[in-house]
Amino acid sequence: MYKTRRGGRGTLGAIAAVLAAGAAYPLILPRSLNFGISVVLFAALATAWDLIGGWAGQLSLGHAAFIGLGAYVSTLLWTKAGLGFAAGLPLAIAAGVLLALAWGFITFRLRGAYFSLSSIAVAEVLRILANNWSSLTGGPEGVSFNDLPPLFGLDLFDRRVEYYAALLLLAAALLIAFRIGGSRAGFYLEAVREDQDSSMALGVDPLRMKLIAFSLSAALTTAGGCLYAVYLSFFEPHGVFSLDLSVQLVLMSIVGGMGTVLGPLLGALVLLAFQEAFRNVFQQSSLLIYGVLIVLIVRYAPDGLSGRLQLLLRRIPWPLRSPSAR
Amino acid sequence: MLTGGVYAMVGIGLSLIFGVMRIVNFAHGEFMAVGMYLAFVLFRSAGLDPYVSLLCVAPAGLLLGAAVERLLLAPIQNAAEHAPILMTVGVGLILSNVLLLVFGAHPETIYTSYSTRTVRIFSITLSLPLLVSFALTVLVVAALYLVLTRTDFGRAIRASAQNRDAAELQGVDTRFVRTAVFGIGTGLSMAAGVLLLPALYVFPTIGGIFTLKAFVVTVLGGMGSVVGAIWGGLLLGVVESVAASFGATGSRDAFGLVAFLLVLLVRPAGLFGRSRV
Repeated sequence: MYKTRRGGRGTLGAIAAVLAAGAAYPLILPRSLNFGISVVLFAALATAWDLIGGWAGQLSLGHAAFIGLGAYVSTLLWTKAGLGFAAGLPLAIAAGVLLALAWGFITFRLRGAYFSLSSIAVAEVLRILANNWSSLTGGPEGVSFNDLPPLFGLDLFDRRVEYYAALLLLAAALLIAFRIGGSRAGFYLEAVREDQDSSMALGVDPLRMKLIAFSLSAALTTAGGCLYAVYLSFFEPHGVFSLDLSVQLVLMSIVGGMGTVLGPLLGALVLLAFQEAFRNVFQQSSLLIYGVLIVLIVRYAPDGLSGRLQLLLRRIPWPLRSPSAR
Repeated sequence: MLTGGVYAMVGIGLSLIFGVMRIVNFAHGEFMAVGMYLAFVLFRSAGLDPYVSLLCVAPAGLLLGAAVERLLLAPIQNAAEHAPILMTVGVGLILSNVLLLVFGAHPETIYTSYSTRTVRIFSITLSLPLLVSFALTVLVVAALYLVLTRTDFGRAIRASAQNRDAAELQGVDTRFVRTAVFGIGTGLSMAAGVLLLPALYVFPTIGGIFTLKAFVVTVLGGMGSVVGAIWGGLLLGVVESVAASFGATGSRDAFGLVAFLLVLLVRPAGLFGRSRV
């Protein structure tokens, strides 16, 4: 069983440092802004996934459902109804939270693998729906758009604007994870994850706790889906609702360390750098590497990279030790 | 309806594994795809008829499954609840992408003399390969049923499913049983793949579709119930063909999944199962 590393000031400091480094990145490396956006965006999505997957221990393999929902709701509101992102983003988030509540209500009363099973099914149903409801969604060809109304006077197709929007989302995700980690809700979630019966005996309502975590995760992921759509400016059902996308988020989280504040961020950075470096070597079968990584990590390092780092840090004499490693 | 028989076979393997090991095998459909490709290669290179290659693909599945269990799943059986799920997801990704690397993304098919032949029984036209698959499925299921209920080994499996510690105390080698059960489940899945080969196109990502179908089948029938999986498989076959006859071919797969979510809402123990949730 993995231990949760809940942070005190050390973690808060680390979050601030990460965000500051993130804010400075476009000034230092303006040429690789695309890479920056994908790292920051996926770090935010993985952190959001970890709220339900890591903290609450409910392994979702269908978070692409929220990404796709966000992408479709926000862009269709613009292309079909002329509503800009100032209205589309909140509406999309509301749709995501509603989906999470309905879906969680059905599946969280069950235990074990049922939630994981249903998560694949939900994403797949939405994908088939988007694929076949051509009059609304454009069917398998997907949605493409080359104009968007400016949001707060900012051009959404400017890569720098997209980067800072993603960074804002990451900041929100990290702060929510940090806040949950140190709060009563965080302990409740962990209690539910480790032993649902005992937690119920102590007066925790597992359904309620899981629904809270799931809605927060869904809100962040749907918002991320809106951004993802803008970043791509073209998407198709097979891409935004795919199992691959869901698995990617899971993998980032477990590589970095599930149920930790900064683990998913670390995982996203490592995996995307890895993918970028080996893009020409593996091409279409990058998922093969993902599969191998999952198997190796589950087998040999169930706490993820941050778990390994903590072990290393513990061996360093105490004056050098970072305060968050305790 | 006939396809339902093969769905049942895929579902039984999944259900058996879940019943004994409490593991949901997310690589189940991928094993099926491996079985399909194995039969495909044997047909192309050695001219082996799929129904003959069944005799070597099924034992190969047994060994592959047993090896995966021994090497990857057994070492983590005391880890967190999500660990086996992740592990099988990883195995599934490896399998489907190895197939993609070796065979490429284009669909393959085999032409046998009977691929498109049909039989008429009481004025109903049936596809011959599907009819044969159905008959073979019935045979395999009957054999499995006899093994489970009439032999010592079957009793050991059922005992391990009911209560692992108690079975251990009665001298059952549950470690061996788990390995054997995962092997049998994998073998069933790969055999089902062989049976479907004459009737379907095969492509590397077909496994994911069938993993989902297997979930639907087992949840409809009740997780861990072998008999339930049979009914679940037939039911899914009927639902899909009815949906298709109403002209909703494109969203055919969605009907099964919606039925699955509805069953989770109303009767999580499955339509035919007792509650084991």
